[in-house]
Amino acid sequence: MIHLIIFIPLLFALIALFFRGQARASVSIFAALSSFALTAVVWMFKIDTVYRTPWIPGAGVFYSVTFDGPSLLLALVATLMTSMTLIYFSFRKDSHQAEGMYPLALAMLTGLLGIFAARDLILFYVFFEATLVPSLFMLGLYGRKNRVRALTKMALYTIFGGLLMLVSIIGTKYYTNSPSFDFLELFGRTNQLDLETQTWLFLGFLAAFAVKLPLFPLHNWLPDFHAENHPSGVADVMGTLYKVGGYGLFRFALPLFPAAAQNLQWVFMFLAAFTALYGAWIAFSSKDFKRLLAYAGLSHMGLVALGMFSLNPIGMAGALFLLAFQGVYSSALFLIVGMLEERLNKDSHNEKTTSQALEIGHVRGLAASAPAFAGVTLLLWFASIGVPGLAGFVGEFSIFLGAYQANPWATALAVSTVIASAAFALTAYQRTWLEEATTSIPELNAKDWFVLAPILAVTVFFGVFSGSALKLLEPSVQAVAGLLGGK
Amino acid sequence: MNLVPPDVNYYSMLPFITVLLTAVFATILPFYVSRKAIAGLSAVGLLVALAASIGLWNTNLSSFYGAYRADNFALGFGIVLIVGALIAVISSVDVAKRGGTMQAEFFAILLYAVSGTMLLASAHDLIVLLIGFEVMSLGVYVLSSFKETSNSEEAGLKYFLLGSFASAILIFGIALVFGATGKFGLEAINTAVLSPEFKNSSIAAVGALFILIGFSFKVAMAPFHQWTPDVYTGAPTVVTQFMSVAVKAAAFAGFLHIFGLALQNVSGWQTPLQFLIALTLMIGNLSALRQSNLKRMLAYSSVAHAGYVGLAVLASPSQGFSSALYYLGIYTLMNAGAFAVLNVLSKDEDGLEIESLAGLGSSKPLLAATLTFFLLSLAGIPPLGGFIGKYLIFSAAASSGYYGLVILAALTSAVSLAYYLRPIGLMYFRPRVTVLPDFSGRSTRVLLLVCAAGVLILGLVPNAVYGLLELVKK
Repeated sequence: MIHLIIFIPLLFALIALFFRGQARASVSIFAALSSFALTAVVWMFKIDTVYRTPWIPGAGVFYSVTFDGPSLLLALVATLMTSMTLIYFSFRKDSHQAEGMYPLALAMLTGLLGIFAARDLILFYVFFEATLVPSLFMLGLYGRKNRVRALTKMALYTIFGGLLMLVSIIGTKYYTNSPSFDFLELFGRTNQLDLETQTWLFLGFLAAFAVKLPLFPLHNWLPDFHAENHPSGVADVMGTLYKVGGYGLFRFALPLFPAAAQNLQWVFMFLAAFTALYGAWIAFSSKDFKRLLAYAGLSHMGLVALGMFSLNPIGMAGALFLLAFQGVYSSALFLIVGMLEERLNKDSHNEKTTSQALEIGHVRGLAASAPAFAGVTLLLWFASIGVPGLAGFVGEFSIFLGAYQANPWATALAVSTVIASAAFALTAYQRTWLEEATTSIPELNAKDWFVLAPILAVTVFFGVFSGSALKLLEPSVQAVAGLLGGK
Repeated sequence: MNLVPPDVNYYSMLPFITVLLTAVFATILPFYVSRKAIAGLSAVGLLVALAASIGLWNTNLSSFYGAYRADNFALGFGIVLIVGALIAVISSVDVAKRGGTMQAEFFAILLYAVSGTMLLASAHDLIVLLIGFEVMSLGVYVLSSFKETSNSEEAGLKYFLLGSFASAILIFGIALVFGATGKFGLEAINTAVLSPEFKNSSIAAVGALFILIGFSFKVAMAPFHQWTPDVYTGAPTVVTQFMSVAVKAAAFAGFLHIFGLALQNVSGWQTPLQFLIALTLMIGNLSALRQSNLKRMLAYSSVAHAGYVGLAVLASPSQGFSSALYYLGIYTLMNAGAFAVLNVLSKDEDGLEIESLAGLGSSKPLLAATLTFFLLSLAGIPPLGGFIGKYLIFSAAASSGYYGLVILAALTSAVSLAYYLRPIGLMYFRPRVTVLPDFSGRSTRVLLLVCAAGVLILGLVPNAVYGLLELVKK
């Protein structure tokens, strides 16, 4: 079952290569939806997904995969959002010019599911880096004018971090004399290492995860990545789902090196809080929707890191919750930007009109002609800035609650992000949707609703009934927090 | 007088003899049959040798009182060498299409060189090893000056002069080691070094250093790599392809044998080797960054790869041997594959400008896709074979405690991404500017697909082959 879930997208990506046009879209959407359906079955019927078999026995590498609580939640979000994004993309007028998006998005989905499922460090690394390839291809094939620069930046940051992690992975095995790279075998041996070794190995892992989170000052690739990608937002959604640094911290770095994590806790809490504030601050002065969303995402990731480094169950649960659900509503905001761009941009090959369509405040007062569109956008922005009753609030609030117990000063710094993000989000919203109308756009049509309705439902439902998701996270969070001496 | 017949086991030398006989036929037959037939004959001969190597697997036969051994190490390297030679033979067929006929002697000399490389990989005796080394080198000197252009002649002469110098140093080193231990057999040297009455440790150390320099030259480790870019660029592309994989693999086989079996307990060469590796990794990768010609870029990248495999020489033989063999096997497929694509795309033997690859993704999808595959694998992106190879080498070196070098290797291989990804970016993300020729015949296209499949399979199910490699360990 778990193999089907992980590899169906990749298999269908290969099949989709043989089709064109509508057939390719249908095959791809079918693959993403079936992966989602199977993940949902695993969730609802609590199917046991533990699987372990030697991969490179001589080197102690196992093909070891499991969907436990956090993995399952993130897998559900990834499969759902990929499905919705591909459906949205097939409705777009310019989708036939960028048909490669379908197989690339599916290949990325396999990579993401592999990242969430892998329990062997080398296997994890393989999925972690392999996912980069389709991501780079999306940017390189369908991105905008300065895409090659953005691409180089992203590739260099990610690979540098990744290779340092690889060195740490190899080091972890040899310093602990573990027979394999399986997490369960490494774990329990690593706490016998002395603090200095632990710290170096921990920093190696962190190099990769801080780039992927991203965490200040390793965030520089992110704004370019989003700004230069295809205006439809498909690549941005996949990129948002690919922010797996927080998950990697939770799954590997923190439980393997608890002493190092505790020792460096305050440094990273301040760094995380600063990242959150910095992201919100820069977002305030962004003139382009995609950059705005990129910095908003950076701000969220700062909060995720803050929650993780609080090292207590409530903060970490909040961080995982935020990580999962920002994958829903931040991704949806990228789709909203894509929908807006499609309505405003007359010529998607023209760099200038595309930039204008993505510019904040180039057109104003759109709410007059499209009130429902405006309402949906506002709802998603509310979720993003953590208004109570929506999914964003639960995560942010738990993070602050957990982080306050660990480090009140860093938390105080981070809490001011809430005000800053409200400021930038509402300013951007007001300038585009309110004020006096300069132009009119078509209202959301049935197809748009078809894409947005499930996303809105998830955002509202888990904002009100967050229990089912938190329950999924709880056992793992308690286990990791127990190691770290949290209550 | 009692005549003792020499210990000759022809079965153990079957792959070697097959290649040598094919070479002899390839020397005589060009008077009677066409060039194409010779190419076919060479390919068949190599395939028979391949089959023989596979058939001898695990039999551990030996000849000449153990001086020549067909153990799994030798056979594994033999398979890699034969595959490298096969790729060169198939690629050479396309050369005719761009008007530059490869005379039929090409195949004969290539096969003589292959027999030399196989001898080098099977030798357990310094003299046999040296014979293999010289046979291989002589063949390659001729091959690299095979085109009647000033570039090619310059390459050949440069390689010959510098190569002879390196051989002289190697022979000097062998003489010193013999002087210190009184033995030529690799295991015998080690036994002599370990014996309590061994007193010549300083002579042995100097000998080891000389041997180190000789081999560093052949595998192109900095600072003895200076010949590489010129020779690799000047030589015909097919020859460069062969040199960069088979000659390197064979030289590493000898390198691993001498330092892993004979001199592992001699001190004094480990620290210089670490410096050589560190320098190679930095110079190879940083110089490759600045190249605008694809052939030259691949030449420098092969210098960098010598640095990675060098790590395996430092590691303990039990892990170093198998990981180096695995790495070189994958490297043969991906590097020779990349050269095969370069060969069919260039209008002459000077290679092509990287910029001119722009737009190849849409005009020549198969060539672009396979080149992408090979470059990604060379860069070590999982799940392709190159990653597994790098990982095995890194972990072998790490388990012997060479942490600093492993970190340096990881960092420099991150740098290498910049130059491996650039051609890919150009091929797919830029519109076409120059129209490149396409000389690929059907055999080359099949070859490229087979190489790409091999790179993928060795990456996805490394166990299938690495399980066998466990047997290489002593």
